[in-house]
Amino acid sequence: MNEGGILLAMTYRQLKRYFRAKSRLIGTIVNPLIFFLFLGMGWSFSLGGGLSKQLFGGIDYLAFLAPGITVMTIFTSSLVGGISVIWDKEFGFLKEVLVAPASRTYAIIGRAFGDSLTSVLQGAIVLCMMYLLVPGLKLEGSLPALALGLVTALSFNGLGIAIASKMRSPEGFQLIMSLITLPLIFLSGAFYPIDRLPSAAKIIFYMNPLTFAVDSTRYFLTGVNSIPLIADISALIILCIGFITVSVRIFERSTIE
Amino acid sequence: MDESAISARNLVKKFGDLIAVNRVSFDVKKGEIFGFLGPNGAGKTTTINILVTVMKPTGGEAFVAGHNVIKEPIKVREKIGVVFQDNTADRYLTGWENLYIHGLIYGLKGDELKMRIEDALEFAELTKFKSVPVKNYSGGMMRRLEIARALMHSPEVLFLDEPTIGLDPQTRARIWEYIRMLRKEENVTIFMTTHYMDEAEKLCDKVAIIDHGKIMAMGSPEDLKNSLGGDMLYVKVNNPMDEIKEFAEEIVRERIALSYRLVGDMVAFSVRYASKAIPPVFELANTFDIKVEEIKYTQPSLGDVFLHYTGRELRDEEGNWKDLIRMRRAARARMRR
Repeated sequence: MNEGGILLAMTYRQLKRYFRAKSRLIGTIVNPLIFFLFLGMGWSFSLGGGLSKQLFGGIDYLAFLAPGITVMTIFTSSLVGGISVIWDKEFGFLKEVLVAPASRTYAIIGRAFGDSLTSVLQGAIVLCMMYLLVPGLKLEGSLPALALGLVTALSFNGLGIAIASKMRSPEGFQLIMSLITLPLIFLSGAFYPIDRLPSAAKIIFYMNPLTFAVDSTRYFLTGVNSIPLIADISALIILCIGFITVSVRIFERSTIE
Repeated sequence: MDESAISARNLVKKFGDLIAVNRVSFDVKKGEIFGFLGPNGAGKTTTINILVTVMKPTGGEAFVAGHNVIKEPIKVREKIGVVFQDNTADRYLTGWENLYIHGLIYGLKGDELKMRIEDALEFAELTKFKSVPVKNYSGGMMRRLEIARALMHSPEVLFLDEPTIGLDPQTRARIWEYIRMLRKEENVTIFMTTHYMDEAEKLCDKVAIIDHGKIMAMGSPEDLKNSLGGDMLYVKVNNPMDEIKEFAEEIVRERIALSYRLVGDMVAFSVRYASKAIPPVFELANTFDIKVEEIKYTQPSLGDVFLHYTGRELRDEEGNWKDLIRMRRAARARMRR
């Protein structure tokens, strides 16, 4: 079996497709920016400097929001990328892989890896804008933030593939996107701090994998966080391995007739 | 088994209650072009799916290039090239990129890979269009790209599922030429399905006529046509059914024709020589008071062969649609479980 070849082939394909679809590139950047400008600016002015610093651990609301917006970009793009495997099923590209003497496991990992690279690239573009719009973000935090962004992207790409493998037609695509993305983003601490929440509510936040991504990115960019960094990183890595394993299993099962 | 590129024994595939492939057995010799001829929903694509290891049969076994499709799918996949009925090229990538991905998947690399891509492009006559996204290709260009792609890793057996479906007559003729050339130059065994009689007749060394999942007849197009005994004589008459039958039976009894079939308002007689059969047919028509409105004869085509063995015309689309819908439904219901 040819593992390296198919891994490379699928990664190459996802990257090529990404750079050819310019509207997708713009679309997934515009959405987080709208959140940042209209939600962030509004609250930032309303709260003013003093109150804001008191609420958000000594930083301005825009600085608090910037990591959340970056993670949101990576998360949305990687989940969409994973679910888009359903179009491969619908339009036949998948068959080409199924009749090849190549590992299906590596095919799906290669696809997830290629997609995740594009998600991180989008995250990097949004992060650059954050650096321009928000003074005081730590520049040295960008690399660890994006590295962990790759782990986040792989996790949610895996989740997307698992969901898509269970879907029989692409019609439910939009519904699933809004049912999953918005709740996960709102319950991740991207928009408000979770420290002051009642402990029952905190449990819900801790069950959301996105919380750890937002928290660690915020630490890298601002130095402020509510969960120990080592816990964030361990949680994300375990999650990533878990989601990818599950997605590979479900995908393989869904392609055997 | 050395002589056979493909050998199927009692293949069965059921979707719920529907039997899509019903005890199908056949052998394809090395270097041969073998065709499955039948209407939509006859079980052609299901058979291909089993042979190319993307579907498991409910029963029976099959060998492709010497390997068991159920027990050694990876070995089979190494030796086959497949062109599916639907396009499987990535529409957003260029021709070159699609070939590049295919080569990587099959373990080609470096200069060898680049060289094979150029060869494939040249073979498909697409060198000029190698940097154009595939979504801008015409149907014929797309097909040629897919066939060239399936050959890039030098397979022993090439599977073509309805290679010219949906193409205009000119493009179809070109694809045929292309398939013939490929057999000559690549020394590859070809298994193809089609519902076009002319396609099977012009391309295939051997044809299996398949209907409702069963092989009804098999042989070279020549043998199949000869098996009908000679020419086909069609007599259009205007009489009640029982009178027509009486008349037709009498003609067979008198050994003017070998056999007959009723097709709509026509009686189709299979005769040795149409020119010799026409006068006695007229004579008997007179005696039986049969009103002959029209009479014509043809050298038998595969269409006549199809009609003879299945009792219906290949163009009988309505029934086929029902079969197809039934099959899709059954397949879907099965997946839901």
